[in-house]
Amino acid sequence: MMRRRRWAFCVVWLAACGGEPAVPAADGGTIRIPLINDPIFNPVVAPDLGSVMINKVLYPGLVRPDSSLQPSPDLAVSWTTSDDGRSYTFALRPNVRWHDGAPFTARDVKFTFDQVMDLSSGTRLRSDFAALDGVDVVDSLTVRFRLKSPFAPFLTLLGYNAGILPEHLLKGTRLGDAVTFNRQKPVGTGPFKVSSVTPGSRVELMRNEDWYGAKPAAEHLVFKVVPDINVQVAQLRAGELDLITIEPSNVGGLEKEAGIAISQVPVVQHWYVGFNAESSLFAPVLVRRALGYAVNREAIIKGVLKGYGDLPRGTIPLALRDYFDSTLAPVPYAPDSARALLAQAGWQPGSDGKLRNAAGQPFAFELLVDKGNPTREQSALAVQADLQQLGMQVSIRTMEFAALVRDHVLTHRFAANLIWWTTPPDPDQYAFYATGQDNNNVRWHNPRADSLLAAGRATLDPQQRQSIYKEFQRLERDDPPVLVLFYPREIRAATSRLRGLLPIGIRDALRHSERLSLAVR
Amino acid sequence: MLPFVVRRVLHGVIVVLAASLITFLVMHLAPGGPSLLADPKLSVEERAAITRQLGVDAPLPVQLARWGGRAMRGDLGTSFLYQVPALSAIRSRLPNTLLLAGAALLLATGLGVGGGTLAAARPGGVVDRLGSAVASLGLAVPVFWSGIVLILLLAVKWQLLPAGGLTSDGGGGIADRLRHLLLPAIVLAMAGGAELFRYTRSAVRTTLAEPHLRTARAKGTTRRQQLITHALRPALVTIVSVIGLQLPRLVGGAAITETVFAWPGMGRLGVEAALARDYPLVMAVTVVVSAGVVVASLVVDLLQRWIDPRGVSPT
Repeated sequence: MMRRRRWAFCVVWLAACGGEPAVPAADGGTIRIPLINDPIFNPVVAPDLGSVMINKVLYPGLVRPDSSLQPSPDLAVSWTTSDDGRSYTFALRPNVRWHDGAPFTARDVKFTFDQVMDLSSGTRLRSDFAALDGVDVVDSLTVRFRLKSPFAPFLTLLGYNAGILPEHLLKGTRLGDAVTFNRQKPVGTGPFKVSSVTPGSRVELMRNEDWYGAKPAAEHLVFKVVPDINVQVAQLRAGELDLITIEPSNVGGLEKEAGIAISQVPVVQHWYVGFNAESSLFAPVLVRRALGYAVNREAIIKGVLKGYGDLPRGTIPLALRDYFDSTLAPVPYAPDSARALLAQAGWQPGSDGKLRNAAGQPFAFELLVDKGNPTREQSALAVQADLQQLGMQVSIRTMEFAALVRDHVLTHRFAANLIWWTTPPDPDQYAFYATGQDNNNVRWHNPRADSLLAAGRATLDPQQRQSIYKEFQRLERDDPPVLVLFYPREIRAATSRLRGLLPIGIRDALRHSERLSLAVR
Repeated sequence: MLPFVVRRVLHGVIVVLAASLITFLVMHLAPGGPSLLADPKLSVEERAAITRQLGVDAPLPVQLARWGGRAMRGDLGTSFLYQVPALSAIRSRLPNTLLLAGAALLLATGLGVGGGTLAAARPGGVVDRLGSAVASLGLAVPVFWSGIVLILLLAVKWQLLPAGGLTSDGGGGIADRLRHLLLPAIVLAMAGGAELFRYTRSAVRTTLAEPHLRTARAKGTTRRQQLITHALRPALVTIVSVIGLQLPRLVGGAAITETVFAWPGMGRLGVEAALARDYPLVMAVTVVVSAGVVVASLVVDLLQRWIDPRGVSPT
């Protein structure tokens, strides 16, 4: 009996003590954000989203996106562009110090981009900067970028993933081999610096008192490794996380929760069904247009996304407000128009309701989707149901994302797949939709689009660019490269005490981590 | 005794080699390939460079030979995902898994064997009925679900225990660590504890019905002596082998428990590595885990011979 009482006491004691956080909550407090895996603290070689998020805090770039996603000064205070658009000269911010106290100079910028361009460094950013010819140090605080040809997205890309690395710590080492730097002791110039790393568990950052900008509001940022989204939600509710991004299916459980605020922002993504334009089924433009009328996107946005998405026009998402053509009406859900177009293309429904062509072949194909994401799996089911109503025979095959990409998307061995693009905040889609490009997985081919997309990335004048991309979006109506399903919104759930989160996607918002703070209870 | 140990060690080496070979083949033949190459935005030349750097461009037998050659020298390669030596990634996680699995094994054994013995002593009594009900639940409910439910109740609703992680923000003392350990250990112990409860109960009940117990009663031993010395001890042969069988389950279950409780252990590391087709890390985890299981089952066999020197073992 005595022993049992002692055991019960132990449980109560464990429950009662040690609960309060060791880090005091005053003065902006500690903000805890989840990552799904251990990060690699190196923006040039890190391949995953978790690393991208934390590296945005640790490693500022020359510019950063402001609240309308336009490049604004960061490590560079100003810049000039040459008349031919092939040279950018940046005046760097003076008196910036690395987290180890060494001065930041133009040599660090050159070093970083030499690594970005060198395939043997293990770089993941090379295709972003394929237009870059070289970087010259003009003086210790001036740096010049030479481009092979004018490239309009250049500034945006500088503020996207291209954080600047310290030359004095990494010179002479292959970036991937700098294990201590990449995993334990990173040195950046950001508003927070790493104070401790527990592999698989957490990375603790403390305020950089010497930071060049306004004093960072929070005292600590903690990135906690929490791989499962349902567990992230539970930890948010238990007060062990402060800011997470969630799936539409998680919203229901959190909406009514006191002390938690849900917000949403459009993100620069388009989710689509890609049809292989080289397959005989989907090569005819009439068929691809018919597919656009055949799918009820509003139902998907309402049912699957619970309203957290926007009705698409073309492949340029709503988040790019300057370029998205809001005058264009959405493609309506009109099964009858779809049937008429399919009939024109030679597909007639038989007595069993199934579509057949003149040779008697059925309209049958496989729709591939990656396993495990409820939003994509349910969207695929909705697409399947809508197309089967028209008499197509659609089977769904799910597989791991890596298998989908490597074995099917990249090798073009698919009829249809449901996937998405996340892009930098720029309308340039040359790599995805111009003929013969590596990332044009659907093998779409339209000569007019090729020249528009080429002009769009080479034109620096914003007005001219706008009209180019508006024409591109109208062209997409007549010859759809893919079937865009929706533009998702990022859903953020955070403690209602959180302040300072900009209304842009969380990755871009983390470029402004110095604003984040927790209001006093 | 010594020839037995030598024979078992040799068996063990063969088991580890076979497990490594099978894992190698299964991993490489699975669809997909390293997640590092699965970024649809990579250009063709970037992808080619990464393929070369990872060494996955060579034919499979060459890759296997390379891996084997390095493994002989104690080098299990560099993790694709973490860009550190695979063994050092494991070293940073192994203590956490040992702590969690050890705590779970302790809980499972204590509650399972203790409860099972008491249940056998009074069939149909409170301990028996309650224990059987809880044991059925423990076996039937998947770890993932029970983990989330316990988090929602104990961490979210009543705020008694932390929802996950190793420690609170800024680290913590022993009490803080124990608070973080308690829930995952309970969840991980559930299925094993339930199994041990059932085996113990039936083994002790069987022995209680044997003739030597009648003799013991006739000698005038107390109920307690009968139960512990005369019934539980012979039943231990079965119980120890069931405990031995828990070890692979603890490693497998740990993968899920560690995910649910954001516990930085090796089970989760192995799952992440498998999903990402991080070949070196998967292989290293396989070698370490299979060696661990081999050693543990050797220990179990030795224990059984010690408990029952007649050398008859049910496994």
